[in-house]
Amino acid sequence: MTVWMLKSFLLGLFNVAAVLFIAPLCEGIMRKLRAAIHSRIGPPITQPYWDLLKLLGKEDLRSTGGVVYASLPSLTLASALLLAVLIPMGTAAPLSFAGDMIVVIYVAAMSGVLIMLGGFASASPYAFIGSSREMMMLLSVEPILAIGLTVGAFKARTLTLAGIQDWQVQNGPSISMAIAGVAFFLALQAMAGKLPFDIAEADQEIMGGPLVEQSGPRLALLRWAMWVKQLAFIFLLVEVFFPWPHFGNFLIDLIGTIVKVVLVLFLVCVIDVVNPRLRIDQALGYYMRVAFSSLAALAFAVIGK
Amino acid sequence: MSMTAADTDQTVARVQEAVSARSNGGPLSASLPHADTLQFTIAKNALRNVVEALVNELQARFMISVGTDERSLTGEFAIVQLFSLDREHLYVLIKSPVSEEDPKIESITGIVPGANWAEREFRDAIGVCPEGHPDPRRLLLADDWPEGMYPLRRDFPYNYRPPLAENVRPQMREPPSGASVMPMGPFFPVLEEPSYWRMFVEGETIVGCDTRLFYNHRGIEKLGDSVLTYNEIPFLAERICGICGFIHSTCYCQAVEKAAGIETPRRARYIRTIMLELERIHSHLLWLGIAGHIIGFDTVLMQTWRIREPVMWLCEQISGNRKTYGMNTIGGLRRDLPNEIRPKLLETLAAVETETIAVRDAVLGDTMLHARTKGVGTLTNEWARKICVVGPPARASGVAIDARIDHPYAAYDDIPPQIATHEAGDTWARVLVRITELLDSIRLVREAIATIPQGPICAKIMEGIPPDRVGVSVVEAPRGEAIHFVQTGGENRPYRWRVRAPTYPNLQALPAMVVHANIADVPITLGSLDPCFSCTERMETLDNRTGKVRVYSRAEVLELSRRTTGKGGAR
Repeated sequence: MTVWMLKSFLLGLFNVAAVLFIAPLCEGIMRKLRAAIHSRIGPPITQPYWDLLKLLGKEDLRSTGGVVYASLPSLTLASALLLAVLIPMGTAAPLSFAGDMIVVIYVAAMSGVLIMLGGFASASPYAFIGSSREMMMLLSVEPILAIGLTVGAFKARTLTLAGIQDWQVQNGPSISMAIAGVAFFLALQAMAGKLPFDIAEADQEIMGGPLVEQSGPRLALLRWAMWVKQLAFIFLLVEVFFPWPHFGNFLIDLIGTIVKVVLVLFLVCVIDVVNPRLRIDQALGYYMRVAFSSLAALAFAVIGK
Repeated sequence: MSMTAADTDQTVARVQEAVSARSNGGPLSASLPHADTLQFTIAKNALRNVVEALVNELQARFMISVGTDERSLTGEFAIVQLFSLDREHLYVLIKSPVSEEDPKIESITGIVPGANWAEREFRDAIGVCPEGHPDPRRLLLADDWPEGMYPLRRDFPYNYRPPLAENVRPQMREPPSGASVMPMGPFFPVLEEPSYWRMFVEGETIVGCDTRLFYNHRGIEKLGDSVLTYNEIPFLAERICGICGFIHSTCYCQAVEKAAGIETPRRARYIRTIMLELERIHSHLLWLGIAGHIIGFDTVLMQTWRIREPVMWLCEQISGNRKTYGMNTIGGLRRDLPNEIRPKLLETLAAVETETIAVRDAVLGDTMLHARTKGVGTLTNEWARKICVVGPPARASGVAIDARIDHPYAAYDDIPPQIATHEAGDTWARVLVRITELLDSIRLVREAIATIPQGPICAKIMEGIPPDRVGVSVVEAPRGEAIHFVQTGGENRPYRWRVRAPTYPNLQALPAMVVHANIADVPITLGSLDPCFSCTERMETLDNRTGKVRVYSRAEVLELSRRTTGKGGAR
């Protein structure tokens, strides 16, 4: 028992560390790609690490008091890491025994909610508008994640992500999971806070929204949390909705997963670069349509497709 | 387009009749200082009636007010209201003397809403109060400027420094009940220059707005009539704006040339046309990029600015500078266009044209861009006329005015532009108008290059410039019509030099454009006016941090900037 506990604890630690240290690299790759599309040379791919180091070394300035505001950045990063240990990433999710997809849905929303609360607590009109936008985006995107995972759970007759993944590997692609996967991919852009859906931050309109009053180490943690979250969601998409081809060899499958993750990163980045920012009402309308379309996946699942 | 002398006479007669009928027993005087300039002096209590007749019966467009301290000439102040009869190619100047004992004049803002700022400006600058003006607040002067000090009065020293004041704030209106305030500025990410907007919002919907501007005012006009001389002013005029500097120096020189009756050689006029159109090309590309950036579309920014860069290099090859060419002087130019530049110029234009068309096609087909610009920031034709908006915002709202056609200057009489108009009045229409103009500018430069005559580039000016003449000149800047008004004086400098940049009227239209809009649409609506605050506020800046001069080659600069970023920001 203790050996098993220790093993999953260590695995969990490894997963946390890996996500924590790879997430900035992914951001660096995306920046490089964005620069290429812009006809720029762009910063070196290690730039996000330097950014974090620089921000962490700065003075911790707080524009306002209060427990929520003070604890927000570390809680946000913690919630993003918690999401990372609940999602299979090349290996089984280290803490999968601790929670099923219901927990994942809750934890997935956590960092967004925390950033929103921090915005409301920071008493700036820009943060206030940004937070209300964040809330609206969260409310319109979460159902898509929930519907997608529910389709999987319905097909696999289990609530655990590992169970859904196993069922997917054994039974191959199905119409319902494909629709759910595409809907989830569309929602990914908003979950990762990328254009055309970076509406809550919208630098040119509300100067970073909930982040406007954050600087130095606090900003570093929040940025880091966003990168971690973005990577975790991409893994969720790749591992649960599109786990093929699966060879049964750990190393080959791991490489396959990484290739797929990088591919999705590229797609997310390209969509980010070739689109202007939508207005909040336009984005809500868009995700309303995506959510209704993903209900079709549920219907297909019921009739066994 | 061209008008015969008979047409002009007829128009002049009509204007004269209208003014005479309304000015309490006829104007005090009427004159025709130039073929296209008609000047009346009327009693100040007839101003409102005369303006009403001009605007309502003759469809005159208000351009600007000029307040002048003429006490050393006539013992009185003078307020000149400047109008344009665009179709008839005529400027109409309505001058009203205002005595020092009773420094008041009828406000015309009730008739022409576009005169709002102009009247506030002469109240601030020379202390003549427009009676019945709806806004009693300052426009031009800083909030800590002492009361009763009027900087454009001639007995006011140009180097006066007011005492420091504490606890001063701009006077801003309170939001309507139920609305909250969302401030934008004085420093804000998408505003390249300071300006302070207070949006009154309910949720994310704008219900009104208030603004404080002129943070950049530096008293350029004051320097023009107290320190500098005629031929020094072009250098200062060029520094009014960092983008369309050549426009201001051309416009100033043309005003003086007209006032003094100097005939500019044809070759100089052609070269001015070429430089003005090159400025429009790079300015419109710059604008397109910024508009993209405002709605988060940085790819547009990066690509249009890459396309723009060869135009800047071209300008440098012609004049020695990317910007601020220093080419204009009274009577023509200080520097000729070298013939060797011709193939390079044509080659660059071809590349810019191809790439601009590619960008245009990408923009036209981008449905997300349509979603962010169609129906956004709509300026109705009615409001565009009321506020007397100029340039692309006017043309995108169906007001077909273009200074190059209405008051031809430089070589535009030989190579007329094709005017691009649109009816919708929204941000998308302004995008379309600018892209069309950009491509037309390329055509104009090509035609100018093909037909440029040989000859001198500067008129020989034998005697001094005579005093007490007026000259009105307009130049169609990328942002719209720029106006320079010059009243000549002694001491080899103007008695009064008045500059009106196109952003001045255009910004006044913003409140009508953002009401009922979403907060997210405000930056792009403001951006779609292509505002230039330093033009409007006539600023100059000087960077004198380092005395050292080191010349880097382009490769060295690139290498240096790449090396710096490569080390994670270490220098």
